[in-house]
Amino acid sequence: MNHSMNSAVARRAFLASSSALITLPFLESLRPGSTASAAIKTATAAPKRMVFLGMGFGVTADRWYPDVNTVGEDYQIPDILKPLNRHKKDLTFIQNLMHQYSADGHSGSTFWLTGANRYGVPGQSFHNTVSVDQVAAEVLGEQTRFTSIQLAASGEAGASGDGHGPGLSLAWNRSGKPVAALNTPVAAFHRLFSNDKTPLAERQARLQEQRSVLDTVLADAKSVNRKLNKTDNQKLDEYFESVREIEVRLAKEEKWLSVEKKLPADPVNEPGESLEGYEEIRVMYDLMVAAMQVDATRVFTYRMPVNSLIASLGATMTAHSMSHYSEGERRDVSQSRDTAHAKLLAEFIDKLKASKEPDGSSLFDNCSITLGTNLSSVHSLTNCPTLVTGGGAGIKHGRHLVMSDKKTPLCNLWLSLLQGSGIAADSFGDSTEVIRELFSV
Amino acid sequence: MVRCRIFQYVVVLVVTASASVAFGESSSDGDKPRAVMPEKHGAVFRKYCLDCHDSETQEGKVDLETISFEIGKDIPTAERWAKILNAINSGEMPPKDAEPISDVDKTGFLKDLSIQMVVARKILSDAGGVITMRRLNRREYANTIEALLGGIPDVSNLPDDQATSGFDTTGASLFFSSDQLEQYLATARASLELAVLPRQPPASRTVRIEPEDEYTPHYAKAAEAMRDTGKRARAFLAQKEKPAAAFGLLDEYQAKKQQVQEWLPLMDDYLARPETKTGATLIMTIKQGGYTRIKLPVLHEQAEGQYTIRVRAAAYPDAEERLHYLEFTSGYGTGRERLGWRKVSAPLNDPEIVEFKYEHRPGQKLQLMIHQRSHQDRGDKNLATIDMKENGIGTPPGIWVDWAEITGPEPVNRHAPAVEELRHVLAENDLASRDDNEFAREVLQRFATRAFRNEKPDSAFLDRLVLRYAANRTKGQSRTEALLGPLSIVLASPSFLYMVESTGNESSPSLTDRELAVRLSYFLWSAPPDEDLLSLANSGKLSDPAVLKSQTSRLLGDQRVDRFVRGFVHQWLEMERLGMFQFDGVQFRTFDNAARESAREEVFETVHTLLDEKLPLRSLLKADFVVVNDLLAGYYGIPGVDGHEFRQVKVPDGSLRGGLLGSAAVLAMGSDGQRSSLVERGAWVLRHLLNDPPPPAPPNVPMLSRLAGQVLSARELGKAHQEEPQCAQCHQKIDPIGFGLENFDASGQWRDLELIGTGRRKFGVWQTTKTFEIDSSGQLPGGQKFKNYFELRDAISRHEDSFSRGFTESLIAYGLGRPFGFTDQDLADEIMRSAKQSDYEISQFIHALIQSKLFQTK
Repeated sequence: MNHSMNSAVARRAFLASSSALITLPFLESLRPGSTASAAIKTATAAPKRMVFLGMGFGVTADRWYPDVNTVGEDYQIPDILKPLNRHKKDLTFIQNLMHQYSADGHSGSTFWLTGANRYGVPGQSFHNTVSVDQVAAEVLGEQTRFTSIQLAASGEAGASGDGHGPGLSLAWNRSGKPVAALNTPVAAFHRLFSNDKTPLAERQARLQEQRSVLDTVLADAKSVNRKLNKTDNQKLDEYFESVREIEVRLAKEEKWLSVEKKLPADPVNEPGESLEGYEEIRVMYDLMVAAMQVDATRVFTYRMPVNSLIASLGATMTAHSMSHYSEGERRDVSQSRDTAHAKLLAEFIDKLKASKEPDGSSLFDNCSITLGTNLSSVHSLTNCPTLVTGGGAGIKHGRHLVMSDKKTPLCNLWLSLLQGSGIAADSFGDSTEVIRELFSV
Repeated sequence: MVRCRIFQYVVVLVVTASASVAFGESSSDGDKPRAVMPEKHGAVFRKYCLDCHDSETQEGKVDLETISFEIGKDIPTAERWAKILNAINSGEMPPKDAEPISDVDKTGFLKDLSIQMVVARKILSDAGGVITMRRLNRREYANTIEALLGGIPDVSNLPDDQATSGFDTTGASLFFSSDQLEQYLATARASLELAVLPRQPPASRTVRIEPEDEYTPHYAKAAEAMRDTGKRARAFLAQKEKPAAAFGLLDEYQAKKQQVQEWLPLMDDYLARPETKTGATLIMTIKQGGYTRIKLPVLHEQAEGQYTIRVRAAAYPDAEERLHYLEFTSGYGTGRERLGWRKVSAPLNDPEIVEFKYEHRPGQKLQLMIHQRSHQDRGDKNLATIDMKENGIGTPPGIWVDWAEITGPEPVNRHAPAVEELRHVLAENDLASRDDNEFAREVLQRFATRAFRNEKPDSAFLDRLVLRYAANRTKGQSRTEALLGPLSIVLASPSFLYMVESTGNESSPSLTDRELAVRLSYFLWSAPPDEDLLSLANSGKLSDPAVLKSQTSRLLGDQRVDRFVRGFVHQWLEMERLGMFQFDGVQFRTFDNAARESAREEVFETVHTLLDEKLPLRSLLKADFVVVNDLLAGYYGIPGVDGHEFRQVKVPDGSLRGGLLGSAAVLAMGSDGQRSSLVERGAWVLRHLLNDPPPPAPPNVPMLSRLAGQVLSARELGKAHQEEPQCAQCHQKIDPIGFGLENFDASGQWRDLELIGTGRRKFGVWQTTKTFEIDSSGQLPGGQKFKNYFELRDAISRHEDSFSRGFTESLIAYGLGRPFGFTDQDLADEIMRSAKQSDYEISQFIHALIQSKLFQTK
């Protein structure tokens, strides 16, 4: 706990300075094999990771949730999620979580990790706040090359066609602005694992050049700034903020410039350009496992495809058609999508369990994974489907929790995951308390 | 009158706002609109709620005794009421062991509350007339790059900007992310390289494809294989001694399945046609690659330009009408883009040549294909199977193709002054004698001034650009190369990406002429002002009302106005819904991709016609004409329309079509791809034609469990909506309008009976169906009754004022770049008055908005 508090403070101080003055990083401090870090390594437990998987449109509600009358360990995993049976003792279904402010029946992702009130700010018709992954990344992402990694499928129908709603990924920054994502497995692969073959000096020069580009656009931004009134300057702040974000990223890149990107022990191949749907999700999961193995980042969000997923399962309807299921074909497709997610997640868990950390634990033991969406089914925003797995947040798994308050804030779960992962947060969004049941039997 | 219904019976709206008050500087509380829950509903609280939720008990920390009835007072109050609305809607309150609220009380309470909630949200999110600085949205950015550099950039990596709410011109909703900045830099660089660096597209040539070279042997081989498999299967089944493997078969099951080759007759039929010796008949196969496709040679990244495709073809008269069209597409699978359709009508003994043009963009590699019209799903394969079961062969083909040829590329020259100037200075002979940095400074300043829409760049900015140039030069780059970096930076800087309207210290100053030119051209062209507009602005003449008017007319007459029509109309009428559902190809045989996409075009083309022909806006409610092309005329069964261009076609009295209500696009949007939807259609009419929008569908309303598993007609569903007060409060207004459109199926075709498929489907055909008589009588919210669709259309067409008002409000929101607010009531009144003088001619609304003070004020 103490450690993360300190690092949060350090980061804030660093951000406040916003200049290029940066303390030298631990570079390899957490990396096995580095002599300088041997002492630290033995003293440090394996790092915590967090993964958030957003499904967009809701699930087949009457078949997806376990029976509410069977709580605790005495419950059955629903038939359509059978592939998860082999991990039953390692996962937790939670019912009756929701965001009190959600009102849009087509946005499964926009507020899922934030819990914000779209109308929360006077004079604005759209408002969002920071997402839980970005709060986690401020601490967990400090010592990794990438502070966080956002993945988001880019289907032809776009995010709204997949029931995700506005946004570029599941992630929203401290100002409640959308955070961009890597949209294809091949893009994610290159970001995570491709090493730039150009000589170091040249790469340093390129960074320097990128900085001068930013300085140049800032010169124009400042001249615009002088012409504007207050409201417009607030708008222009987004531009300044983007420049600052790039500066921070460049500063981090510079720290890591001389460190080669590590490749996982089991090499991952460059994914094909045209992966879509089921295979796309599987490969993204593989890339996340590999990224955790080399500790490239510790925080992941993935806004998953829906249209291309069901197309790859043989469906010929749109995801939106599916979401308005009734008996027959649409329900069949909806269920097959639920089963596909269960199967993919089960495989993801298999791989995380099989992947060992230096201290003998597995990646699975040290990460928390949440699968869900803000929409339960059709246009319903109550009882958001929520499945948590992984040992990273210290949850006592193997149980089905039905919260007695049907309006338990979903942000209570986000707060629980933050604290469980060692992040000193007192509250998150509209959270009221930690969900104690998660941590005790 | 339905005009502004919401405001009439619930909002206390004091219309005294003068222009200055409209900007919210000094308005007292008395001038502001309010959202108030009528006091009478206090009785509902007292009767049903206060036992637990009075100030003393406050169960669940809810105190209904002291709650303010002014819902829009502040956000916490609005949230408290939103929770009350949700608790009653979802059936959570009152709890099961308490006395239920009587239906009458509940309906009245929910109706007022849900409408007040909408008003409260509007009040609380109202920006008070402030126009927030706009970033160029994705459409505008692409058009701006094109206007400057002459090439259309690939913007697929930029956010589409249509997501958060309202129009994509709303400044406050146009966000900026760090990723975007890098994307802008990369896009600018790519576009500049294409524009400035020398390119040598290949010389134009013609390649002819003789499709019989591929298909005759392909289908002959398939026929041979089928014949052989069938023979072996029958031979195996005729004996008992040898195993299936001896006959090259898997097992007996396979043998039984293969003994009759059900698709062999299709192959035989194909090969027996003498015309397939010299061409290809377009058929649908299941396992021989689907459609017969004419594949044109791959177009490479460097081979940009205009291509002309010519196809020599003939039609089979007996085929279904839709199969008499060639579909031109590019790409594969879900990435396939449909480029257009051309009708073939010549007989086999006298084929014709049809022509199709295509502009290939640099940096893309793709293959064009020509085939029959397609459905979104497996529809065509299912139809082929159904037809085969019936006629023993398959779907009768519609077209024979002798050959197809493609000629190109021919250069496409767009007027792009910035690039012409760049090329010119870079080619100057005396370049060597000039000071390098001075040269760069001059070039960059001129380019930036153009890019910033006639605003000179700041000198500190220019200094830095020149530094970048000099740094590139020291790296040994040529002048041209060294300029590319700084030029890209210009196109990623705020002065380019934002529509900067400078205000200094004034709170609402008039726009400068230059700023007015920018606002005007982005409004009507979604693109920067052209030279004429800028030079009028330069000389200070643009703000002269007469000059402004003639310029508005000029912009409206320019083909670039198409971007306004598409951008505005698509969002105004919420047409994205047309792509949200898949239409089943078997159930809606004629509503294929071609029909759906042409139906969307019809709406845009109709608005174009209104603009060009100076027709009144009410033509969208009812008209004695439609704007269609051959394909859509075929879909509507309107005879005598030849050619793929859309044009105005008279329809007889009593025609189903004419006006948005009878258009395939609107009717199809009012469905879920299978069934027509009373609710979607009724709500759409209220929102867009009657300007009386119902509150948004509340989430979390429980389904009527009594109805689970039942097959109900639309009429019965409508009746069920009246059972529960939660539903009744809105549906009593929505559904009765939808009844009037029930004679149109999900694809907008007329029907006399409502047919609902249930259970499973085989080859896309419902195995069980139920039919219902259609009763299309209903009424409008104002009480006007109608007996059928025609009377409904007449009744709605009498609401020209409400329709015009809704159009005006949307136009203001789109044109000013912010949601229509309470402070805009006066402006809307003024535009309505002005438009009414010219009988609501559509362009008068636009003129009136542009002439208004608000449009010319920051």
